[in-house]
Amino acid sequence: MNMTRRSVLKGIGGALTLPLLETRMVASQQPPTRFLVVGNPLGMHPLHFFPAEYGPQFALPETLRSLEWARDRLTIVSHTDHGMNNGHGREISFLNGILPENSASYPEKNVSVDQVMARRTHGRVRFSSVHAALQRGIRMSWNANGVDLKPFTEPHRLFDHLFLNLTSEEKAVRRQLIVRNGSILDAVGEQLAGLRQSASRRDRERLDQYETSVRELEGSLRDRSGWLDRDKPKFDISRHFAGPETTLENRYNAIFDMIAYAFETDLTRVATVAFPNELNYTDIGGVTRGYHACTHNGKKEEVIAELIGIESFQIAQLSRCLRKLDAVSEPNADGTMLDHTMVLFGSGMGYGGTHSNRNLPILVAGGGFRHRGHVDARGASGVNMPLCNLYLTLLQRFGVERDRFNTSTGSFDLRHA
Amino acid sequence: MRNGLVAALLLGAFSTGQRAAADEGSVSGPRILQAHCAHCHGGEEPFGRFRISALGDSPGRENIGLWQKSLEFVRAEIMPPAGASTLTDANRRRLIAFLRNELRGKGEQAGRLSQAAPRRLNNRELANSVRDVLKVDHIGTHQPLADLLGDALHHGFDTDGDSLGMSQFHLEQCIEAFRKVVEATVLYGERPQRRFYAVTASDMRMTNLSQRRGEGRAHRTAESIDFLDPRLRVYFSNFERAPATGRYRIRILATGKDRGIYDSAATGIYDGDPIRLSVHLGDRVSVFELPDETPTEIELDEWITEGTRLELSYPTDGLRLRGNGNFKFQFAIAHDYIKRTDPKRYAAVLGERLPKAPARTARSPGHWSHWTEQWQGPRPRLFRAEIEGPLYESWPPRRQVAVLGADPKASDAADILHPIAERAWRRELHDGELDPIVGLVEKIAAEDRSPDADIRALKEGVVAVLASPAFLLVNSGDGSASEKFASKLSYFLRGTIPSRRMREAARSGNLATFDAVRAEIGRQFDLDQADEFLHEFPYAWLELDRINFMAPDPDRFPLYSRKRLSEDMVAEALRFFRHAVEGNLPLPELLAADYSFLNADLARVYGVEGVPQDSQFRKYTFADGRRGGLLGMGAFLTLTADSLSTSPIHRAVYVMEKFLGIRPAPPPADVEIAEPDVRQAKSIKEILAAHTTDPTCASCHRSIDPYGYAFENFDSVGAWREEYMGHIAPKPSRAELLEIEAQDRKRAAMGLAPSEKPWEKKPIPVDAASRFPSGAAYHDIVEYRRHLLSDANRERFVRCFITKLLTYANGHEVEDSPEIDGILALSAENEYRIVDTIAAVIDSPLFREE
Repeated sequence: MNMTRRSVLKGIGGALTLPLLETRMVASQQPPTRFLVVGNPLGMHPLHFFPAEYGPQFALPETLRSLEWARDRLTIVSHTDHGMNNGHGREISFLNGILPENSASYPEKNVSVDQVMARRTHGRVRFSSVHAALQRGIRMSWNANGVDLKPFTEPHRLFDHLFLNLTSEEKAVRRQLIVRNGSILDAVGEQLAGLRQSASRRDRERLDQYETSVRELEGSLRDRSGWLDRDKPKFDISRHFAGPETTLENRYNAIFDMIAYAFETDLTRVATVAFPNELNYTDIGGVTRGYHACTHNGKKEEVIAELIGIESFQIAQLSRCLRKLDAVSEPNADGTMLDHTMVLFGSGMGYGGTHSNRNLPILVAGGGFRHRGHVDARGASGVNMPLCNLYLTLLQRFGVERDRFNTSTGSFDLRHA
Repeated sequence: MRNGLVAALLLGAFSTGQRAAADEGSVSGPRILQAHCAHCHGGEEPFGRFRISALGDSPGRENIGLWQKSLEFVRAEIMPPAGASTLTDANRRRLIAFLRNELRGKGEQAGRLSQAAPRRLNNRELANSVRDVLKVDHIGTHQPLADLLGDALHHGFDTDGDSLGMSQFHLEQCIEAFRKVVEATVLYGERPQRRFYAVTASDMRMTNLSQRRGEGRAHRTAESIDFLDPRLRVYFSNFERAPATGRYRIRILATGKDRGIYDSAATGIYDGDPIRLSVHLGDRVSVFELPDETPTEIELDEWITEGTRLELSYPTDGLRLRGNGNFKFQFAIAHDYIKRTDPKRYAAVLGERLPKAPARTARSPGHWSHWTEQWQGPRPRLFRAEIEGPLYESWPPRRQVAVLGADPKASDAADILHPIAERAWRRELHDGELDPIVGLVEKIAAEDRSPDADIRALKEGVVAVLASPAFLLVNSGDGSASEKFASKLSYFLRGTIPSRRMREAARSGNLATFDAVRAEIGRQFDLDQADEFLHEFPYAWLELDRINFMAPDPDRFPLYSRKRLSEDMVAEALRFFRHAVEGNLPLPELLAADYSFLNADLARVYGVEGVPQDSQFRKYTFADGRRGGLLGMGAFLTLTADSLSTSPIHRAVYVMEKFLGIRPAPPPADVEIAEPDVRQAKSIKEILAAHTTDPTCASCHRSIDPYGYAFENFDSVGAWREEYMGHIAPKPSRAELLEIEAQDRKRAAMGLAPSEKPWEKKPIPVDAASRFPSGAAYHDIVEYRRHLLSDANRERFVRCFITKLLTYANGHEVEDSPEIDGILALSAENEYRIVDTIAAVIDSPLFREE
């Protein structure tokens, strides 16, 4: 065990026992880079998100006010997008730049940037990625088969997934189940081989997808049986729900705290959190309308105020999580965990009020970058930068050696400090 | 030769002389294109960013979409636009024929599917199919499929091939879900003891809305408990969950109380509606009507899965009108009622309450908190209940014997699993195909030392049959032509595996002709076997899932959320569609019939008086020519509106896409769209002025907006309006006005004009007139509807309906083809009647995939 780590952990509340590191990290090993995405489906009211000035000396707009403490640790990117037509339904391309209907022309379909990173952590951490939202997701994360990954939509389910340790009987049952499922996969896999031989061209694609699913699930079952005997770290969720009422804030706090702790204990290195449209935001002071309705405010001030309330709430939750990460020193490296966690906030929609999918609201924090304040990403031609350029930069920082990602045309200038 | 001509003409310069020549006599398609289209769709900045030269010689992989769009727009008489064109009808027909001919057979070459897309079963079909493979009446009250990944909809359709992909998560969750279903179907070991539970009123508990412990508010006596807040549920403390899987007999003694005492305008509950009681078993809900003031026994006989919660609730869309909608504010209705009818009691209650009340409420006699004990709203009253079970006709239960046999052995796995697999895989098995699964069963049975080893192993075999790609993937090429047809028809009509009868009929050639198909589906509709289709298809086609994507503003349209009007609106659309199928009506009647189906809530929205005051849907004929059919439905008008304002564009796009089969291109990405500003009193035409004045906008919007302006008389919930009241701000309070005056003085001092005072402006009258690109003008919705019933539009609507059916059946949008013309012709022979049209679609090669 690492003594410096123990002394660090004494300093933070909540964690009474030393978290058990999932990976057998040794002192000489490279510290991990992590990736957290926080997204919404309706964009941001642009006047209150983008600062009026470019460069590091910008006045923080209203929606971002809770990030004042971190103003040197973030970059707000203007004039970047995926070149999508206007309208709803295209926000699902947030993390990949490709709509499902066009995904067939890409070798990895519309795989999202988080999943390319997640794949790299495979086998090194217990969960290659973790996804959470309340009520329902916003279809941010897509695997290389063009299928979107469903987030956990209840904090308690996420808790069970991340931190619940099984009793030895439960483990035995689980182990048996893993074996059982493995046998079923064997049987259907064998049948599949026969079906493939006679399949037509158009069937083969679906059978391939099925076969990939079988293969990946087999791998996942193998991994899980390996992890089964190793205890998960302990996390106390009860204090999040101790109050008389369970609010939206309580529940998002719980989600962010669990993810921060999962990062800290190296359960995972990639996570996404979403603020869906369908959620009822009336917990937030002053909000009486639906989220979507607030975006179509017809410029009525009282309705815009409600929208800003919802958007500021999202940023405040993010800010709180960043503080949490910044309060923990990175084991085996200089700086805090935030310096080793790239945080991306944004949306695949520019602003719901105009149905614009141009000029997406994008903010990058942490990650040990030399941050640049507010950046106009347009080149000399005045054309908006493909957002995948930024993703390529993030991928490279994560250690993925690539020179292209989906619709990228280059990279974004954000250097490692 | 002809293709070469297109290229040659495109190179040539446009001249009016050529246009004049083109309209004379028989001219070729390319010449017409050149003469009537190239002027606008050519040059440096072509209209709509479409240049004729992009069509090239003939459709290819890159530009087939442009060819299709061209055909779509020319056929819809959107292009060339009236006024800018001298295209004769004869030449329009020639141009259509040319475009059609060029497109023939090209779709497939360009990599477009013409056949159904192989895809994963969606969750709805999965639940139905598992149920029917296992021959049970439902898959279990424990919601075994609840953890499955949700299906993504594609333009409302849940059968879209591209959206229904497979991943390891799907596969794993399917396996887990199947195991849960099989666990609840196949029982073994000791037969659970039957028990009798007597539930008294004191054993009945009301759930609580907050997370804290404690009971929700109810009125109770030693003998009874009354429902107050419809959001709460009653459960039985001595039978919270079913202790074992099996059949249970449940009897509940209950009555309706106090119907019609309070004014229904205050409660939101119609006097004509009986008081109902819902019994929840997991997500299965049975609803019973309770007689008034007469304790009556209701009885259920249900197969319940171990661990299922039993709960009761009071289903009503009322009791949310007061305050912010929370039930507690409804108690103030008791205040109003007693004050009006019983002054003595009124004084007595206040005399008792007010001295004890906290200062905050003591001065307001109408505060709800004083009246909680006096509540006499309509409500169910429960007295007692009896539950008996689990009951089995035999052990093992009959449902299980039906699937596995009475005493199944692992050594008979091949024989036992064969019929199950044949049902699940919807075809005869290939040689040796079952062997891996039989091997699995034998292996598990050999390793398992328990006395139930055989049955446990067979259960895994059933799970494996269901996890097989042959079950999970539909529309694959696997199986004989008749097997594929039976399967496709069955999923189309019933969302499940084909019955033995259906497979037999297909195999013996009894579904090979139009007449045979027509007879078969007629029979399925008559026997209520196709309810799945009657619900799912219109729901998908009309994208009813979107109705609350942007719900009407709760302040401006309070009834919408408080009386759950969206449910009524969806019900109206589905009821209307069912009516059309039951009566085999001509399709155009769906679009613009002069009637629809209303209940009292919808009648209020539509401004209809004199209908019975209850929630039942009844046919109503509109005399004013404004409403009726799909074009007048609240569901359409609401789901295309913003929460505060309406959008002629959304409505136009909806009409074009859903009813006329035209898909306008979305605005290009680099267009900056001004955000609507409702603070100023402007008419929608002023707000959208750019759509006619800015050439970039106008090139597309000129052919879109006219399809939507006619609906401007309908507000965000579809109610009729003559004026835009909503654009006018409410008058500020006195204090605010003084403040504004002071500010205006300051502004004047600085040389600024006074601030805008929207409340001083007059309401703006609605202008719902416009002119179609074809040149036809309309003044209002009445004329618009008449126009949509022209012969050409009727045909467009039927063609669109046909493509929607094919989208639903095949899992992708079909390209235009001669086969669709064939269906259309057959439909026309049968007066466009809906059931005949559906049969023509099923009988078409596009469905049969011959």
